[in-house]
Amino acid sequence: MPDPIIVLENLRKAYGATIAANDLNLSIPRGEIFGFLGANGAGKTTTIRMLCGLTRPTSGHGFIDGLDVWTDRYRIRSKFGYVAQKFSLYPDLTVTENLAFFGGAFRVPRGELGARIETLLAQMDLVGKRDAMAGSLSGGMKQLLALACALVHDPPLLFLDEPTSGLDPVHRQQLWNLLYNLGHAGTTIFVTTHYMDEAERCTEVGFVREGRLLVKETPRRLKASFKSKLLELEVDPVMPALAAFRSAPGVLDATLRSGHARIYAADPESLLREWQREWPFPELKWIHHAWVEPDMEDVFKAWSQGYTQLFDSTAS
Amino acid sequence: MSKMNIRSIWNAVASVALKEFLHVWRDKRILALIIILPPFFTLLFGHAFEGTELTGVPAVIVDRDGTEQSKKLVEHLGKKKTFAWTKLGDASGDPDLLRLRASAALVIPKDWTSTLEAGTPVPLKLFLDGTDATSADELEGRLREMLGEFQGQDDVQELTVKPLFEELPPEVFDALKAVTPESRAKLKVEFQKLVKPWQPETRILYNPGLRFIDFVTPGIIGLILQLLTVTLMACTIAREREAGTLAQLIVTPLRRMEIVIGKVLPYLGISLFLIGVTIGVAHFHFGVHFRQPFMLGIICLLFLLCSLGSGLLISAFCHTQTQAIQFAVFYLLPVFPLSGAFAPIERLPAGVRLVSDVFPLTHFCEAFRMASLRNADFSFFAGDLLFLAVGAIVTCGGAAWILNRTDA
Repeated sequence: MPDPIIVLENLRKAYGATIAANDLNLSIPRGEIFGFLGANGAGKTTTIRMLCGLTRPTSGHGFIDGLDVWTDRYRIRSKFGYVAQKFSLYPDLTVTENLAFFGGAFRVPRGELGARIETLLAQMDLVGKRDAMAGSLSGGMKQLLALACALVHDPPLLFLDEPTSGLDPVHRQQLWNLLYNLGHAGTTIFVTTHYMDEAERCTEVGFVREGRLLVKETPRRLKASFKSKLLELEVDPVMPALAAFRSAPGVLDATLRSGHARIYAADPESLLREWQREWPFPELKWIHHAWVEPDMEDVFKAWSQGYTQLFDSTAS
Repeated sequence: MSKMNIRSIWNAVASVALKEFLHVWRDKRILALIIILPPFFTLLFGHAFEGTELTGVPAVIVDRDGTEQSKKLVEHLGKKKTFAWTKLGDASGDPDLLRLRASAALVIPKDWTSTLEAGTPVPLKLFLDGTDATSADELEGRLREMLGEFQGQDDVQELTVKPLFEELPPEVFDALKAVTPESRAKLKVEFQKLVKPWQPETRILYNPGLRFIDFVTPGIIGLILQLLTVTLMACTIAREREAGTLAQLIVTPLRRMEIVIGKVLPYLGISLFLIGVTIGVAHFHFGVHFRQPFMLGIICLLFLLCSLGSGLLISAFCHTQTQAIQFAVFYLLPVFPLSGAFAPIERLPAGVRLVSDVFPLTHFCEAFRMASLRNADFSFFAGDLLFLAVGAIVTCGGAAWILNRTDA
């Protein structure tokens, strides 16, 4: 891999007995949009905070542009922008005052700062809100402003910790379009998310569970790693069916998708044969069955729950 | 350090300072508090401590003797304003101060005059409410003073000295005739030494008017400034930590010291302005004179830096604003009674004075009084200034150090 911008080598963070990041090894090439996925508490935020030099790694190393994320943390701060999970700008300062403050803090030359702020305001659609207090903005606008503040020094790398959580679909779309444009222009983006449609847009995603990185792949290959299609059943009534399927032998889990029950099973074909031979749920009415392609949500489910039986062991 | 570098540091510090100033500027409630509090407190404390002389203290007098002499005493005591006497008919037993709503009671015992004449006086009985020890002490002193004056009156002296002479045996007078004029003069001196109270001639230096307000002004200025700087400053970093903006601040290339200096600067400016206001009120309203203005400026500056530094240290150490305020209160609490702002520090026991020496306010008051009240030269308060300077460096440096060590 030529010249990765981020490299993790056995990066670990322990809080007492709890290991938030467990010997992570990872390498992210320049210009990639890397999606860091995992359930709440899997260690995503801790990893980002270590990369940003906000918390000291217990052991191991992280490098950005070849510089250690802890010992060289003062030298690498001009190289990245960071948007935290929680809104963390100054609510009692206006939009432009926030941008000007971060511009000054990131040592953007005085002469260039004005023009830079105008560009960002236009890009984020915040021109009309320039003199509004940051605290008075809507959730979506706050997030756009946070992104603008993280970009004020035009960094080659951007860390975003769940940037779209709590946003409406319109702002979510707007934010991702901006990220796409940035990625297209060569900015490396490291983003954590819970939304699987967003994971689909990443060039590569990594799954983390209990502090361990389980897999790092392109979304396409991840979906292809299932050993078979997934079984979907149309039954009536569907809600009691989910509970019944979950406790049935041979079934790992069942979820509701567009009114149908999607079943995760180690051997779905023999399960279907068995159920067709003798339907074990007399109170449920069998209507229809179908084989569907797994999507990112299934990938997330399988990786975050540890259903490794679903994957094709010969592929990887 | 190159020119470019200094300019870049200045720009960074200015960005933080402007932001920090805007936080205060936009918070109209805090702004009103900052502007109104110092002059208001100066007026309030100034008037509270302007005259500490006790007047009109409710007191009861019981005359069980009922002679010419005891009536004269009652009359004499009534001339002074310290006590507002109420005469009480002869009640036996000790007077009940609480029920009488009095702070003091004086009982002239039965046969006081006759025992006085006999040369074996029964003592007067004084009862004092000791709840407020300082006032009780002062009342006792005042009463002794009045009794002394009464005793000094000619007719009273005659009454007490005459029997003394009458009782002398005639041999003494014969013996006196034989002494030489030299030894007689000597004897007179000895006799005067015995009789006359030892009375120094007093000349008061440094605060000739003995005005308490002059003594207490540095205390008022220091106290107000200490209160404002520590509480305001204690919130700054803790607030950012609580709001999550501290993380955002730390991922910028700002150096710790740039953050600390940037945060201190606007508060330093505001505090200096407030000191000006307070000094103005003290001068124009209370007529307090300030000497060595340049030195006072240095003393104030170092004190403010030290005080802001302690606030910042509390702030860097605490995780929430609530914690920071609680810490600030517990830090400020012992400062009030122990710093010598309102009462001379010399009254405290030596062990406690070691604690007093830790507070910047103690050194501020010492140095301020030395320079302004005593017009002393620099060497008399150099030690206090050194303490304040070291304190400023240690607290600000400590805050930067903590900021560097802990997770945001």
